[in-house]
Amino acid sequence: MDMLQTSIDGLMMGSTYALLGLSFALVFGVMRRINLAFGACLLFGASLAIYLEPILGWGVWGLFLVTIVGAALASSYVERLCFAPHGKRQGDVTAMVASFAVWMQLDEISSQLLPQRTHAFQGIEVPNFWWGELFVRGDQLLHFAIALVSILLLYLLLYKTRFGLLVRATADSSETAHLLGAPVPWLGFTIFLVAGILGGLAAFMILSADGYVTPLFGLWSTFKGLVAMIIGGVGSLVGAVLGGLILGLVETHAGAALGAEFRDMVTFGMVFLVLIIRPGGLMGVKIYRTDNLAQERV
Amino acid sequence: MLSVNNLVTSYGLIKALKGVSLEAKKGAVTCILGPNGAGKTTLMFTLAGILAPDTGTVSLLDQNLMGLGAPKILRKGLALVPENRLVFADLTVSENLLAGAFSQSRAMSAQVSDDIDKMYDRFPILKARHDQPAGNLSGGEQQMLALARALMSRPSILLMDEPSVGLSPLIVDEIFAIVKQLNDDGMSILLVEQNATKALQVADYFYLLDQGKVTFSGTPDQLKDDDIIKRAYLGGG
Repeated sequence: MDMLQTSIDGLMMGSTYALLGLSFALVFGVMRRINLAFGACLLFGASLAIYLEPILGWGVWGLFLVTIVGAALASSYVERLCFAPHGKRQGDVTAMVASFAVWMQLDEISSQLLPQRTHAFQGIEVPNFWWGELFVRGDQLLHFAIALVSILLLYLLLYKTRFGLLVRATADSSETAHLLGAPVPWLGFTIFLVAGILGGLAAFMILSADGYVTPLFGLWSTFKGLVAMIIGGVGSLVGAVLGGLILGLVETHAGAALGAEFRDMVTFGMVFLVLIIRPGGLMGVKIYRTDNLAQERV
Repeated sequence: MLSVNNLVTSYGLIKALKGVSLEAKKGAVTCILGPNGAGKTTLMFTLAGILAPDTGTVSLLDQNLMGLGAPKILRKGLALVPENRLVFADLTVSENLLAGAFSQSRAMSAQVSDDIDKMYDRFPILKARHDQPAGNLSGGEQQMLALARALMSRPSILLMDEPSVGLSPLIVDEIFAIVKQLNDDGMSILLVEQNATKALQVADYFYLLDQGKVTFSGTPDQLKDDDIIKRAYLGGG
């Protein structure tokens, strides 16, 4: 029974990691942008929410809204400042270095917004309940449902709409997509915005489940998001969801069996193994392949 | 139909096109021959709006194309089949064709699926493989897909950049048969080729591009009579 209980807890936590991994996969995998500032964008959203909470007085829904809007704004800001001006011709490294600078900037702003370092982070109140002999945390069940619906909506957006086709074609080869009349610069912005919204949603759920936020959350979410993405396979959205769920399960089981101090050790040990045995990740797809020829010419 | 006047394009300080003028007539296959580094692909990319020219004029059916970006030029009726095909490898064949209709407005979606059916009639192999990722197709199939994808924008002139590159002789024959068929159906084509023997079978008019300049222009017969070209491009003396 304990195993089952731990698995349920792990799956619930994993669903928020899956959403986090998905937002990273949109930026790193789909748009192929090495955006070091993405975790900092999520931290900025959360810090802004904490800072504005007493001013707005909207309670937990204010936190919810401001975290998402703040993360989305910061993510679009990074796209405009770091990635939009540096196309393929200037090289990806320039944009990556620029995003490193913005990471520091957003981290510093967030530290100013969180003067006490550790701040309580309220969650949506949902009563907990027993299902047979299994204990279910109400808020985590809600998070699970929100993550599931968000993942489904993103899937429909990317695979069932004309916009999604534009995005996937641009991710495959932005030069060719441009040649066929796709509005490439506008698409990059939109995907960063969507990634910011999903990431902000994941950040809200993770922070409210933990009950507090610190300025280290940016780095922490970068680790978790990247780990989920790497386990699943860079470039695969299904992989990012799978990677997030596996990460949640492994962390919870490791914590229950070996104690909390071994949790991260087991997690990074797993990443280590995946990188050795299947360097492309579980659902690994080959990336950085088709656009090389185009890049040589353009 | 497509008229290019004194076009100059440079990469930084290096001028790749040094004042190119040419004319592609309606309903004809116009072929640009030239060695590696002559500026053929640069010319194609400039005409398609991927590269911006320094000076010169380009007009298609009396509409000015100068200074427009690639999406607008496509909407004016000029479509490019790029060298090395550049299909979207991770997208399926049918998604690649849909992507070819990016320039069409959303309202025409019924028309777009009609167009896809027409492409499947013209290229039955694409229909058989419509739900496979384009990266799994052979080189010849990818060339057909790239061609069909360009046709999805309903162009009035089709630019083809070295359609024979990297393909086996049998497949090259097949591709040129399709080019001929398209032209017989009324499509105007501007073709870039290194394979002059093949190009002679389909083209109505030739330009020779060398180091960014047009050094010869004439009909297939004039081309065959030119000793230097004969030696350099058609083999034998």
